Amino acid sequence: MANDLILDVQDVRKAYDGLEVLKGISFSLCKGETKVLIGPSGSGKSTLLRCINYLTVPDAGRIYLNGEEVLDTNIDAIRARIGFVFQDFNLFSHLTVLDNVRICQIKVNGKRKDAATERAHQELERVGLADKAGAYPAELSGGQQQRVSIARALAMDPEVLLFDEPTSALDPELTGEVVRVMQQLATEGMTMVVVTHEMSFARQAADEIIFMENGYIVEQGSPEIMFTDSRQERTRAFLNVIAEHG
Amino acid sequence: MDIYDVLLRDFPFLLKGLGVAIVLLAALLSIGFVLGMAICLTQLYGPKSRFVQWPLVIYERIFRGVPIIIMLFIFFYGISGVVDISAFGAAILAMGLRSGAYQSQIFRSAFQSVPAGQMMAARAMGMSKMSAIRNIIFPQAARHAIGPWTNEFSSEIKETSLAYVIGVVELTRQAHYIITSTQGNILTVFAVVALLYFILNRTGNSLLYAFERKLAVPGFEK
Repeated sequence: MANDLILDVQDVRKAYDGLEVLKGISFSLCKGETKVLIGPSGSGKSTLLRCINYLTVPDAGRIYLNGEEVLDTNIDAIRARIGFVFQDFNLFSHLTVLDNVRICQIKVNGKRKDAATERAHQELERVGLADKAGAYPAELSGGQQQRVSIARALAMDPEVLLFDEPTSALDPELTGEVVRVMQQLATEGMTMVVVTHEMSFARQAADEIIFMENGYIVEQGSPEIMFTDSRQERTRAFLNVIAEHG
Repeated sequence: MDIYDVLLRDFPFLLKGLGVAIVLLAALLSIGFVLGMAICLTQLYGPKSRFVQWPLVIYERIFRGVPIIIMLFIFFYGISGVVDISAFGAAILAMGLRSGAYQSQIFRSAFQSVPAGQMMAARAMGMSKMSAIRNIIFPQAARHAIGPWTNEFSSEIKETSLAYVIGVVELTRQAHYIITSTQGNILTVFAVVALLYFILNRTGNSLLYAFERKLAVPGFEK
């Protein structure tokens, strides 16, 4: 159904100093879907993700969020509707966990403080950190920080959540707690695009896996097909390497 | 009358001089703060055009590169030829402009020490650049700036004494007035004056350090 389309990325291109990183990428995302972007380092996954909310401004192509085109002129309003989770968390280090989850609700969405506080506590509960509301980011483990940053994004009622290698800065022990939160979100019907090397997550939570290399989408399909019966030699080679070392 | 009687008698004049020094200090630091912050924000977030940036660089180089005593003379004798300006006004202007040049660089390095990811995260959540600077970057930069700013504070307290060369009746000049009436006891008078400067300096720094501790965030990296 067309009105279920949340995100529509059309022919996005990006080059740095003449080096093309994205060579015309198109994909779309419907409400409740989780798509996982995989591919070797330098394949353009993160750049693509950053182009969606103009953290990196694409050279060409169009992006639509719920039918509205993403442009320079409406970017702040668009970004408020797109959650973004960074590899290195980027929690606001001078604010408590509670204030981290609260501040953009108040300053960006114009919510009242008590409503923002209540919502913040709900989201912290959801990521299992209700007891850390008063702590500062530097007092938390990496996994806890990443869960706070997910709560921070969720509290904005995002129409889509983008994850940029959310577990790459974590050791395996802490990766699990973040992946569990992400899986729970996928189950609950959150619309998500996830760049990750966590193949267990891709296998279990993705509606579709998109394999990128050298700025192109090489292949995309359901996890069953991609993991067991991918058509492209490159996809199989990549997944084999990941399976051996991941 | 021995020196101690004179000191006791004239101590109110020393306190008055100290008062003038404090007003001069407060005025020059305030001008320097506003100017320094404006320059820092323009350098970091303002238009990249040369017509905006170069004048700021030239201003900052000149005021950091010329001795304050020369600046005091230039401002006093230079400006008083054009408009009527008091020695006190000239001192505030020269020292305020100079402090602005120094403070701009204190603030600039403090702002730059805030990791780029903080701005990126704020913008990614829909904050405007202005809002992100005010709510996210400034509070962190301010914490980084207090330490270096205590240096500027200490230097400027001491440099208010130079305003004496253009005739501002601040603490050092008051001391000179007393000395002219008590031949031979220069050291004692200056020792008292030194103590007053020292007490002012320590008090100010203690307050700044207390402020720094009050703002301290657990685990926040310096």
